[in-house]
Amino acid sequence: MKIAFVVQRYGMEINGGAELHCRWIAEHMKKYYEVEVLTTKAYDYITWENYYLDDIEEINGVLVRRFPVARPRNPMRFGRIQQFVFHHEHKIDDELKWLEEEGPLAPALIKYIDQHRADYDYFIFFSYRYYHSYWGIQTVPEKSILVPTAEHDPVVYLRIFKELFSLPRAFIYNSEEEKNMIQRVANNSHILGKVVGVGIEIPSSWPTQQVLEQRGIASDYLVYIGRIDENKGCDKLFQYFLKFKERTNYPVKLVLVGSTKLTIPHHPDLIYLGFVSEEEKFAILQGALLLIMPSFYESLSMVTLEAWALEKPVLANAHCEVLQGQCQRSQGGLYYENYAEFEETLKLLLEDDKLREILSQNGRRYFESNYTWEVIEQKYNYIISKLEEEKENK
Amino acid sequence: MGEDKKQKFSAEEMEIKIDYENIDVEEIMNQIKRKIASRPAQEIEQQEEETRNDYRETIPPPLTSPPGGLRSKIRRILLKLMRPFAPLIKLMVLPVDEELRETVENLDYANRRLDELIDRFPQEIGRLESKIDLNHQLVNERLELAFKDLGRAKEYTKLLHQLTHNLVVEMTKLKIEKDHLKIQSRILEKDLAFLNRREKEVEKKVFS
Repeated sequence: MKIAFVVQRYGMEINGGAELHCRWIAEHMKKYYEVEVLTTKAYDYITWENYYLDDIEEINGVLVRRFPVARPRNPMRFGRIQQFVFHHEHKIDDELKWLEEEGPLAPALIKYIDQHRADYDYFIFFSYRYYHSYWGIQTVPEKSILVPTAEHDPVVYLRIFKELFSLPRAFIYNSEEEKNMIQRVANNSHILGKVVGVGIEIPSSWPTQQVLEQRGIASDYLVYIGRIDENKGCDKLFQYFLKFKERTNYPVKLVLVGSTKLTIPHHPDLIYLGFVSEEEKFAILQGALLLIMPSFYESLSMVTLEAWALEKPVLANAHCEVLQGQCQRSQGGLYYENYAEFEETLKLLLEDDKLREILSQNGRRYFESNYTWEVIEQKYNYIISKLEEEKENK
Repeated sequence: MGEDKKQKFSAEEMEIKIDYENIDVEEIMNQIKRKIASRPAQEIEQQEEETRNDYRETIPPPLTSPPGGLRSKIRRILLKLMRPFAPLIKLMVLPVDEELRETVENLDYANRRLDELIDRFPQEIGRLESKIDLNHQLVNERLELAFKDLGRAKEYTKLLHQLTHNLVVEMTKLKIEKDHLKIQSRILEKDLAFLNRREKEVEKKVFS
């Protein structure tokens, strides 16, 4: 059986989001099926400018076919159209124009899917909101499986997606909250769908002490790992953390790991490490007291799963239904809605060693029963075998 | 973690009871919410304001004017110039079915959005109800405490009243006693003066 994974970007350099999710799944599923990846030549997720040169390459044993982006995104124009589509009465055509502007505009990819539909048994599309998924699923609805990676933002309520959500043969959701949201929007509960998510790649070892010494981290610290920007709630996190320090003077620092789009306030208790290697990331996570996830929009926070895999409790933003749901289901973390709750929960977690320990153990158990690769692979195989059964019954 | 810090927060932490054998994150969060809600009104208002701000930040920004640009500007000017003939031009240029289609699409979209809102309505109501229940519970708890405090204050006032009364009685008794003692001391003074005088008379008689 041959399966194509279709995703907006793909490469070893892309280390987060749906793209990394797709790469890991593709690499794990190659032991069961013949796997190929269909993607664009883009690297930058803001402009989608062509970056990769080769049309075909092999990454970790997976064949990757790249298609050029016909026109890079103009962020200003896209912003204007998005503003109009989100806040004004508009036509379907406006939404399609929005989709085209959002990109990555790769008609050659869609043409390839159309011309080679017979070569593949299934096309697994990642991220519903981009050009490749919308037009790809329209092209081969009978062979498509969608991994929506949807967040609770205004995009999900656009009319074009209500129609799109009724086309695929199956859905692979990241969380219960995502499943409920999409089924509520599109009324498509009759379509096969399963909450799966993604497993975590944990390096065999990481030199925690050495990394902490090199980075000059000597005291207790909390850690945030991910893109540092407003969409991830980082500005609010800085505000809350500095207020917490001011009010409590608690001897704890906040370590920030990831590329930044924000100006980080100069404060001795905010330690910005920038982009780090996987080993370093795990070392820093291992040395932390807990992980903070301030993001408002998540379909599945991989770093939260990593924290639980390493037996670290999590303090998450309760405005994100997925994070709150994950904390409640796992019993592996607390959450906050405002500063008062941030202060109380953080104080409780820092103070109560026993609570931290139990939350960590719960998180680990939750990770083991839902997010190890054996479980994830089984769930993917289940979806494909179900679709095969349906095909035979027809 | 530092012992001194532990002591600093221990009074507050005492309020949150955790069943370590059977951790329930939701229960812990409810306790935290209750603890925050039981703070002085001013502080609560401040926190609520913060929460509202947080919520505002999560929802999309308010409606703004449609996108500008040269094209829309020219379009506006042309429409303004042609306004008197606009219905006629529209009728001639645009087929009526196109207008109808657009209207139906817009209505359909409005309907879908209403459907979405209606779908979300029970959930929102549920959330509001649970919040109201929580607040109701908190208000009841606080009222109960206030009534207890009031009862205690009443008893205390009664005691104070009794104490004052007893003090007045005692003071009166002491005043009478004091007056009595004063009279006694005057009598004793007179007796002493008489005895002195007598002593002197006796001395005179003895030595004369």
